[in-house]
Amino acid sequence: MNLAGIDSKAGRLEAGVAGIGWVTPLGTQLHGVWQALQSGVVAESRPIENPETGRLHQVRPVSPKLVEHLARQPRLRRSSPISYFAVGAAMAALEDAGILPSAEARSATALVFAVSNGGVIYTRRFYDQIIRQGANAASPMLFPETVYNAPASHVASAFGVDGASYTLVGDNAVGIAALHFGSQLLALGACERVLVVGCEEIDWILCEAFYDWRLASTPLSEGAGAVLLTRDAPLRITTAAAVPIFRRAEAGAALRSALGNQEGEWVISSGDRGFAERIERRLLGEKGTWVFPKRYFGEAPGASAVWQVIAGAMALRTCEARSVLVPVVGFNQQAAVATLR
Amino acid sequence: MPASPNPRHRVAVTAIGLVTPLGGNVTENAAALRSGRDAVTPVTSFKVSRCRAKTAGQVSGSWSFPGAKAEWHRASHFTTAAMQEAQNGDPQFTPELAVIGTTSGGMSFGERFHRAQIDRRRPAERAGWLANYMPQKAVLDGLDVCGWSAPMQIIANACASGTNAVGHAFQLIRAGMQRSVLCGGYDAISELVYVGFDALQAATPEKVRPFDRGRSGLVLGEGAAMLALEEWESANGRGAPILGEVTGYGIATDNHHLTQPHPSGVGPRLAMERALADAQCPATWIDYINAHGTATTFNDATEGTAIAQLFGSAVPVSSTKSMMGHALGAAGAIEAVFALIAIREQFLPPNLNYQEADPAWELAIVANESRKAKVRRVMSNSFGFGGTNASIILQAA
Repeated sequence: MNLAGIDSKAGRLEAGVAGIGWVTPLGTQLHGVWQALQSGVVAESRPIENPETGRLHQVRPVSPKLVEHLARQPRLRRSSPISYFAVGAAMAALEDAGILPSAEARSATALVFAVSNGGVIYTRRFYDQIIRQGANAASPMLFPETVYNAPASHVASAFGVDGASYTLVGDNAVGIAALHFGSQLLALGACERVLVVGCEEIDWILCEAFYDWRLASTPLSEGAGAVLLTRDAPLRITTAAAVPIFRRAEAGAALRSALGNQEGEWVISSGDRGFAERIERRLLGEKGTWVFPKRYFGEAPGASAVWQVIAGAMALRTCEARSVLVPVVGFNQQAAVATLR
Repeated sequence: MPASPNPRHRVAVTAIGLVTPLGGNVTENAAALRSGRDAVTPVTSFKVSRCRAKTAGQVSGSWSFPGAKAEWHRASHFTTAAMQEAQNGDPQFTPELAVIGTTSGGMSFGERFHRAQIDRRRPAERAGWLANYMPQKAVLDGLDVCGWSAPMQIIANACASGTNAVGHAFQLIRAGMQRSVLCGGYDAISELVYVGFDALQAATPEKVRPFDRGRSGLVLGEGAAMLALEEWESANGRGAPILGEVTGYGIATDNHHLTQPHPSGVGPRLAMERALADAQCPATWIDYINAHGTATTFNDATEGTAIAQLFGSAVPVSSTKSMMGHALGAAGAIEAVFALIAIREQFLPPNLNYQEADPAWELAIVANESRKAKVRRVMSNSFGFGGTNASIILQAA
């Protein structure tokens, strides 16, 4: 390791985890949700209907009550649920780290967002207006919330961040890619801390897409996870650039390459009895303690990998684990790994 | 912003690739920039009868790649063509990482999927639409065709995405964290985005007139641009062509409003100031500014104010969006390549449709025609929804 926390051989970067926060279908309390995960509590599911065909999909939503207090934020008045989740998780992570709003805190903090589908509710509603009512009737209120970086903008506004803000898009491994991007910003010396937020929201059209694409083995869910990275926090996270997956058959080799010789006493899996779990089990064996957050949360592509990392951080905080491995086999883009100790 | 603890490696541009409404490669684009060609035409790919605006800069032409599939989105074709041109320009270049900007990926395939839901159709092509809709797909396709197995970071910072991608790649190499990075941006016009800007009344039914007193809005464009960046000594050591150098990057977030910049111009000014400081370059060393220059009332007012405050009226300024429209997530990367063309060929690309100066500021607009000039250093600006502001500085090798 050199000064900037770079392991140049493997391209790995190390940073400290100073704060964590989440908004999940199982709640927002760090310990409460962690205990629920360990107890095998499955988030409540409900059907969401495709109004065009009547087809029902089971999803695991976040209770609106968990984020309704955020409606007082002026920028959130017209925003989509994804921005509420993002602001809620970001606030929780900053509070967990004991960061109070201040001019210094704002100017020294960078934001990195992970999204997979972004503001899909407003995107669908906006395009629906175009189709049914005509382009001249489409609401200008909806369009700005359809851009991928709208949640990042709302979080930047809520906390007054005026420096670097990046939104990364990708498959369900994008959360690890965002954490690595955040570690890059720290290593560059561009800021003192980086708030990494992964977020997702549910809509029926997303359910249709996942169903048609045969990715619907795990119910879709929604929410956000936030991790505040600093250089020196004692809980350490190591990441590397994700390994690309050009064809699904390459996923195992991609994860093997991402893993290298990294190990963990605990494994926080990206699987849920399907493709990803089979690959992870094949490569990592049965050793250690395995946790499968998606069995209880569901799959929230932009948020899932960040939730895995937060679960790993909780395992360390509660002294249940001394080291944690977080592998992610993405749907169609990349395999990535984080380790925590 | 604290100083970087890392060494400052020089960052060379060893190859570029370009697909825009002005042409399908760098040579065609350079000729069009020099001649001041207007590539804005009536929209053909969807109905605009109920929009105020009717025109856009649209890419024409077709490409053929080994491994390309019929179901690819046209964004994959732009992106792959631009990557291939960069690869042909420096065949030994091997990226360790790809940092690519976009705003909407294969959005038009998402639109088709939506329409199929409403029409209660399940056409066989829908699997292809879904697989090719996501923003990472065009990047994967291009990398695969080029035989590059690089990790990718796909930045979606609205209209600043392309500049953010080049800027982040530059920072990683300069700090010694990467040796070679492919960076750039892509976007393809879609109905949803087109109508979105129309609904906001940000799009114009007239000619696009950046910085003109009578400007009335933007025209959308599309395309892709790629830049091969490499640590200078590494590129030089293997005899790679060095087309230019990236020397500075600034990023700032303006929290005024989701779609409107703060009227003071604080966001653009901070981004430009940070890029100048990063490059250790006084404002007087900049020979040309390729402005964001969307021609919306708000953008040009804030950017014009910020440029005038920082540079006075001496530095030539133009918005090449006047020729090809605003390519959103690709714009910053396209304009970075335009900057390199201006440096290589020693001319200033024009700001078309410029009739009357805005009295709010005094700027040296390169009005309507390109002109010869000594161009050694160029600043390129990109600003976007969400208050993202980014500037980069490129200079002659």
